[in-house]
Amino acid sequence: MDTYLQITTVVGVYVAGVVFVAGMGWRIYQWATTPKSPVRLGMFPKPKTRGGRIMKMLKDTLIAPHSARIEPRMWLFAMMFHVAALAAFVGHLRLIQEYPVLPSLLGAEGMNAFAGWAGGIAGTLMMVAVLYWIARRTFGPFKQLSVPEDYLLLVLLLGVIIMGNHMRFIGHVHATDYREWFQSLLAFKPVIPDSIRFSNVGWSLGTHMLFVNALLIYFPFSKLVHTIGSFSANLVRSE
Amino acid sequence: MSDDIKVDLELDLKGLLCPLPMVRVSQNITNVPVGGVIRAVATDPGAMADIPAWAQSTGNEVLSAGKEGSEFVFLVKRIK
Amino acid sequence: MDSQQITTLTGVLDKKMNRQLKQYLDICARCAICKDACHQYVATGDFTYLPARRAELIRQIYKKYFTKAGEFVPALYEARDPDENLLDELYESTYACTGCRRCMYYCPFSIDTAWILSVAKAILIAAGRGNEMLGQLADASLFKSDNFEMFRDVIVSGFKDIEAELKELTGDPSAEIPVDKQGADILYVALAGAHSILPAAAIFHEAGASWTLSMFESANYGFFLGDVEKARKIADRFMDEAVRLGVKEVVITECGHAYRVANIFHEAWSGTKHPFKVRHILEVIDEYIKDGRLKVSRCIDVPVSYHDPCQVGRNGGIFEQPRDIVRALATDFRDMTPNREQQWCCGGGGGIVAISEMDAFRLKSGKKKVEQIKATGAKIVASPCENCRLQMEGLNETEDLGVRIAAIMDLVMECMDLPGRKQAAEGA
Repeated sequence: MDTYLQITTVVGVYVAGVVFVAGMGWRIYQWATTPKSPVRLGMFPKPKTRGGRIMKMLKDTLIAPHSARIEPRMWLFAMMFHVAALAAFVGHLRLIQEYPVLPSLLGAEGMNAFAGWAGGIAGTLMMVAVLYWIARRTFGPFKQLSVPEDYLLLVLLLGVIIMGNHMRFIGHVHATDYREWFQSLLAFKPVIPDSIRFSNVGWSLGTHMLFVNALLIYFPFSKLVHTIGSFSANLVRSE
Repeated sequence: MSDDIKVDLELDLKGLLCPLPMVRVSQNITNVPVGGVIRAVATDPGAMADIPAWAQSTGNEVLSAGKEGSEFVFLVKRIK
Repeated sequence: MDSQQITTLTGVLDKKMNRQLKQYLDICARCAICKDACHQYVATGDFTYLPARRAELIRQIYKKYFTKAGEFVPALYEARDPDENLLDELYESTYACTGCRRCMYYCPFSIDTAWILSVAKAILIAAGRGNEMLGQLADASLFKSDNFEMFRDVIVSGFKDIEAELKELTGDPSAEIPVDKQGADILYVALAGAHSILPAAAIFHEAGASWTLSMFESANYGFFLGDVEKARKIADRFMDEAVRLGVKEVVITECGHAYRVANIFHEAWSGTKHPFKVRHILEVIDEYIKDGRLKVSRCIDVPVSYHDPCQVGRNGGIFEQPRDIVRALATDFRDMTPNREQQWCCGGGGGIVAISEMDAFRLKSGKKKVEQIKATGAKIVASPCENCRLQMEGLNETEDLGVRIAAIMDLVMECMDLPGRKQAAEGA
């Protein structure tokens, strides 16, 4: 157990962090240093001003109104996933530092209850969306389009989400303990607090992080680079 | 127009707008044997330049191209 | 496939690589939202024509030869060599694509599949698998300009025939079709066919415009073939003419791809800046009508619909002028649903009308357009693109739509007060 946690929640995190940052940096460097097409690839109607183009790009990227029109169900699940993932990401920022105002308003108990609800909802929505995607890919008429990468990413995501939900729904460990662990990583003096090691979710944190690390390591080499690339690709639409 | 040329295929391209007459001749050239002749009748004046240009650039031969009334008549020989 | 040929083909991809292409190849999530955008996939349900699949073939080569991950774990991406199997499918899906970019409109990342396929075409050409017919058509165009003296007389005498018709039509013996006119305001670039010259000549004559007719047709089969060098040279023919004559604007006839080539691609291809404007003839006609330079009556009383050619609408930015013209001519204008930038491709673009082995497929792919036309109840469907009209005429016949497919210029001419029209109609 201690070796497992040592690998996934300490060493693995460092490795994943380095690979992720370097990989994304390399990806962006490659994009930035490849010359742009001299041909304008925009389509009409397009905004006339630069500000208008940027607003349209943000709208297209963050809301994808055209996709919503053509396949509303897929759009709904995709929005559900992405908004929930964003919420989960914001929630995980508590690992670095407690939110400024919220805890004093809600009290320690209230804050944990709020985090429990918010995280639980986000985790459930993400899980439903990923299951929908797996089903859509596996049983859809276009399943031949899928390649192993697609399933690998969905399985990794599912692993991350299920273990996260397990900690959220089954565990009794709260943010303060996790924060202690995470801050120790950030300070390069890694400690896994006993409150996690001897809890009923120690191994699920380990497995959660196993999936997270694998996902982060693979991220820059996968189609997930659309998290960044979609902004510039959507800007090209108005050029 | 000489009558002693044996025509292997007649193409009615009347009413077709350019470049379709050229397209139809090209599509049909393999339907005649090498050395065979297509007689094509078009109504679009653009064909007068298009069909000879196609023949020359593809290495085929236009034996004759002429206006007969409001129609343009071509004899095209397949060379290769 | 030997390694030499693989090097050649991946070399083409390397040469064509740019930021947009790289991003498109990196970010596609294979979410397949594009499936319902493509008229060919919707009409056939055939995986080959799913837009993301078409691009995926190029992505498979890219992953294997341009990414480390794909080089080490090709199975993960189904990365592979550009072998015969891949090229077979690529040929089919690439030359079938009409380049309408409707998939790009709906894609959450705005991936331009047609742009990826333009690179696919370059790869096919390098593999000796460029479409033969499109190649012949492109070569014939270039042959005409390279040996121009050989064709000059034939071309000019063709124009003279049309000029005679124009004189009769307008009842003005001084009406002319000017060529090579130095200092004219407009260089009008028609198609090789008379149908694209006579109505424009009548309109320019009526509006008192200072114009001259290009010796060359605007149709660009080099663009459809996917050979940028040939495409540029074909467009250079009239662009150079425009520079030489010192015109203020180049006006492209009712043609979709030629307008986009002239307006959007040519400057980038040639690395020059045009010293003139490029407009579509419908922009000019709309201006003439609104300025009162061209008098038309509302002479059409049957319902008229308008089909946005993809290269004029979504890819060219002209949506309202043609509709305004049709409204000025017809009492009952009925738009299709959806329309404008969401307009369904009719299935006739991208040079597919010249590829006879795709004829049956092409007509089948017009399913959505047939539904749209039927739903309007229109008796006339107007569209300013030759390929669209060819396709819709085909659909009209096979699906028994009972409509008339018309060029907008023809409708304009019918609603102009031309003294000779009646006689001309009887004579025809």
